[in-house]
Amino acid sequence: MRRQKKTCPMDEARIRWVDYKDERFLSRFITDNGKILPSRLSGTCARHQRQLASAIKKARFLALLGYTRGQQA
Amino acid sequence: MIREYEAVYVFDSTLEDAAINEKVAKHHALLSAEGEPSLNHWGRRQLAYKIGKRDTGYYIVARFKADGKVLPEFERSLKLDDGVVRYLISIHEDELGAPPMTEEQLAAKRARDDDEDDD
Repeated sequence: MRRQKKTCPMDEARIRWVDYKDERFLSRFITDNGKILPSRLSGTCARHQRQLASAIKKARFLALLGYTRGQQA
Repeated sequence: MIREYEAVYVFDSTLEDAAINEKVAKHHALLSAEGEPSLNHWGRRQLAYKIGKRDTGYYIVARFKADGKVLPEFERSLKLDDGVVRYLISIHEDELGAPPMTEEQLAAKRARDDDEDDD
C-alpha cells in the first residue's frame, strides 16, 4: 500500500509566492516549539517549501514570529 | 541596475509618529529613488520576542525603485540610526501579492515541479 500523496496547501490556495509579512499564515507551518514544519508533514511542494523556509526566517528576524515558542518559564 | 525593493523597518515605539515620519523621509532621501516610495504603516505592534528592553515596535513597509549602488549608503544610515530597531531590505518579488494562480498556471507549475523533485 502506498500512501496517497498530500497536496500542497499553498497550491490549493493558489499562492504564487509565500509572503514573509503574513505571520498568521506562516504560523500554520511551524510546530508548537516554533520549528519549521517539514514538508513530509505539511505536504508542501518543494518549491513552496523553499520559499516558506526563507519567509519564516525573515519573519523571525523582524520579530513577527519567535525563534522559539511555548517554553516560557 | 534599477530594481524594485521592499523594505520593512521596525522603529522604536516610544518615538513620536512625526519623528518616525521624519526619519523615514530622511533615509529615503539617500536613495534618490525613482518616483515616490510607497509606504504602508502597520503602526505599533507587539514583538514576538523582546529586543533589548522593547516589547513593541512601529512597523513600516516601504517599496521603492532604486539603483543597487546606493543601497550600502542607505543601509549604513539605517544602522547608525538608534531609532531603527530592525530593518530588512529585500528584492521585491513581483509574484508576491499577485492575483491567485489560475488552473492552467497551477498545472504548468505542477509539470515543472515534477521534474525537479522526484522523491
